[in-house]
Amino acid sequence: MAQDAPGAVGARLSPKLDEASLIRAVQRGDQDAFEQLVRAYDQSVLRLAVNLLRSQEDARDVFQEAFLRVFRSIDSFRFDCSFHTWLYRIVTNICLDYLRKRKVRKEEPAVVDTPEGPLDRMNDFQEEAPHADPERNLWNVQIGQRIEGALGGLTPRERMVFELRHYQGLRLRNIGEILGTSEEAAKNCLFRATQKMRAELGDFQ
Amino acid sequence: MNCESVTKLIPLYFYGELPPDEEDSLEQHLDTCAACAHQAESQRALSAALDRREMQPSAALLAECRHDLMRAVYRQASVPRRAGFSPRGTLVPHWGLSAWLPSLGPWRMPLGASALLALGFITARLTAPGAAGPFSLASLTPENVISSVRSVQPAHDDSRPGEVQIVLDETRRRVISGQLNDTNIQRLVLAAAHDENNPGVRWESVDLLKGHSDSSPVRELLLNRVAEDPNPGVRLKALDGLKAYTGDPEVRKVLAQVLLHDDYPGVRIAAVDALTAHAGDDMVGILQGVVQKEDNTYVRRRCVKALQDMNASVGTF
Repeated sequence: MAQDAPGAVGARLSPKLDEASLIRAVQRGDQDAFEQLVRAYDQSVLRLAVNLLRSQEDARDVFQEAFLRVFRSIDSFRFDCSFHTWLYRIVTNICLDYLRKRKVRKEEPAVVDTPEGPLDRMNDFQEEAPHADPERNLWNVQIGQRIEGALGGLTPRERMVFELRHYQGLRLRNIGEILGTSEEAAKNCLFRATQKMRAELGDFQ
Repeated sequence: MNCESVTKLIPLYFYGELPPDEEDSLEQHLDTCAACAHQAESQRALSAALDRREMQPSAALLAECRHDLMRAVYRQASVPRRAGFSPRGTLVPHWGLSAWLPSLGPWRMPLGASALLALGFITARLTAPGAAGPFSLASLTPENVISSVRSVQPAHDDSRPGEVQIVLDETRRRVISGQLNDTNIQRLVLAAAHDENNPGVRWESVDLLKGHSDSSPVRELLLNRVAEDPNPGVRLKALDGLKAYTGDPEVRKVLAQVLLHDDYPGVRIAAVDALTAHAGDDMVGILQGVVQKEDNTYVRRRCVKALQDMNASVGTF
């Protein structure tokens, strides 16, 4: 039963390329290397932002801000952690800021009520499966709102830990490192998040 | 291990975060405790439900993000900024080409160069001596020449054994600036909006032009791009530029075709929003047709709503 979440993050570098060499090349001003570095991680960064923020515009802003920060500050990267951890510290900090602001502003949720029932606006912007699945569409409409409500009840930090563990497939030790906390604190955060969601959603059978 | 501690460990167990000995103890407890086994099953069901919520960003969104990043980096790189970043030539033109030719590997630069050459013919005409126009041409410097290797082969001269012949394609980069309402500048941007090798340039051109859709050539270009461009991001931009003209029969005709035939739901959503903002009787047949065949829930609902607002029947008989 124990399992890793699907879609674990992995850099998509060519096996021929050594990441440390690539980073050093970027630090020397090699723009090809910078492009390769971005492309190794940009899909997983965008996936994290889209799933976490459920807003195309916010995800796009996070993507740009994160990689621009990398571009500006790559000289300060000293290899005292992995590049992945360093990048994800940047990305998660930006995302947490967005989530906190959203908590204050009470922004419009991704799932909205329409005269025809609840509708997840983001469903229209994801990659469409080769063959549309009507059952999945129906499921999205009926259940999506409840799940969004449950996730909305988490604190930004609980939300982040849950997202990184469940959807990005990161280990809790790595999550703690990214968020500047201990593995134990990340465990507690994950426990609180799942308890809250199970309390909110009841049993999905 | 008691029920209280198991409750706390179930999420960690599910995510494979328990040490092997704790995992064994927990499994033994689950075998004998129905209440905890139910909790574990509940955790699994919750996880399965959450899996189905996961979204994969579309290729178009990723392309737009990369494009926006490229533009932002361009702005930063065009200002001398970091001592460590003083690359060969300027950063962005090369980044821009390679960013939009991702799968071509070593061939991307020659292709990119040929795209620039194609534009070069246009700029040469526009910037020939004596050509009028309030735009300016930046001076050329040696760094503005892009070279790519066309071929490498042994030299044919037998008197020089071991010599090789390298054929280079060189493209000169020029910077032209001017107002978009200047005819020559606009012609250049219109040409760039058709650059088949570079969706990034097409997107950027359409983005610039969409604010000038009162011009007839620009509107024609936008209609062409929304119907023909292979990149959904470009089609969306073009559609955005046509929103002010959804009362125009020609625009409505094209948008109706887009609504019926575009294979990207985001574009069909934008089309249905634009069309139903000014729904008229001429749209009834098209909307009924869309309701019958459309997979996308939002598009179908918008069509149904528009038909109901017009007191038209939703189905065809």
